[in-house]
Amino acid sequence: MHMRTTRPIIRTVLSGASLHDATVVLDDRVILRSVNLIVGPGLTLVRGPNGSGKTTLLRALAGLLPLARGDRKASGDVLYIGHRPMLLRGLTARENLEFFVRFRGGDTRGIDGALRAWGVGEEMDRPVERLSAGERRRAALARVETERVPLLLLDEPFADLDEAGATRLRQTIARAREDGRVVVIATHAHPELDDLAKTRIAIDDGAATAA
Amino acid sequence: MALVAVRELRAERRQPDGVVAAVTFIAVLVLLESLVVGPQIARDPDVASALFWLALAFATILATMRSFDRELEDDALEGLVALPGGRDALFGGKVLSLTIVLLLVAVVGGVLSLVLLDLRIALPLHLLVVVLLGVLALPPIVVVDVVLALRLRARAALVPILALPVLVPQLVAATRGTSAALSGDAVGALSWAGLLFAFAVVYTVIGLTIVPAAIE
Repeated sequence: MHMRTTRPIIRTVLSGASLHDATVVLDDRVILRSVNLIVGPGLTLVRGPNGSGKTTLLRALAGLLPLARGDRKASGDVLYIGHRPMLLRGLTARENLEFFVRFRGGDTRGIDGALRAWGVGEEMDRPVERLSAGERRRAALARVETERVPLLLLDEPFADLDEAGATRLRQTIARAREDGRVVVIATHAHPELDDLAKTRIAIDDGAATAA
Repeated sequence: MALVAVRELRAERRQPDGVVAAVTFIAVLVLLESLVVGPQIARDPDVASALFWLALAFATILATMRSFDRELEDDALEGLVALPGGRDALFGGKVLSLTIVLLLVAVVGGVLSLVLLDLRIALPLHLLVVVLLGVLALPPIVVVDVVLALRLRARAALVPILALPVLVPQLVAATRGTSAALSGDAVGALSWAGLLFAFAVVYTVIGLTIVPAAIE
């Protein structure tokens, strides 16, 4: 017997990502050392000092780096937002987000609302190079709401945000967690996220351990 | 692929640095050509064709590098590559948008050449086919070279060094084909056009194979 479900697909697909014995070498330097990691639904925090390998770990999970050894697995699409907003200059915030949504075959109708909710409603039709760093960051983070992918990888997402933006981001993270999405955040600050986190990973000199 | 091309053309419309640099370059070169070699020699089909295609080759390099420079600002390239299928769409999208930009540059350069050098076209349709296929054949290999040199600081110097030796056969074919169309050699023009088509296909296949892996 077939049962119909009306729940969103991100709840019905068990999503996650893993690295097995992952080693990343860049410019003859070992940046990640034999990392074994499984991330599932909920919030995973990656903490470590500057240069410890947090960004590399996220990029390896996103499949953006070749592994010198080991393998990576991910079920479901990945949304990776790095240090910088990753928006193309010459396009407006709205056009950038439309591109990402269309590329994933999604619905663009929610973009205006998401940008307004992130406080860039007035600026959504200005080219991104004319926005402040904080506005660009907000526009980039609005992708979490417009691209409903199950696996979110956010690298220092609080950078450039004012208090209102940070509050909005904490709410977004909490909602994504409740929706059963996989959220991995690399940050060296924001201890208040510890209460929300299901898993904490400490990384130092490329070696990851459970914290 | 079409989405990447539209994204690129929209950005180029608002920040037309690549088009402006390429059009200025080809316009200056055509102008200088008639001054430096004199009107008689400049009007020679071989000379006029060679300078036109050399200028267009450099214009391709300029426009392609500007396009990727824009991608590197704010890590926009990483945003594209991180999308499912983004790596595969990157090459096709860039080639498509650059082909459209270069067609515009070729039209400007061609009109300037015709007016300033007072060129006579014996076979206009053949010339159109040769120019179209010549423009199609340029971006694939230049995009591959720019991607290979993307993370190098000296890429502004390296890309022409990498690209020009590979472009020589295409430049020869395009120059001979254009010269043949200008001077009324229909068979010659179509033969060289066929070769240009082959270059376009081969380098597109190479690009589609290499670029997704190289972008890592």
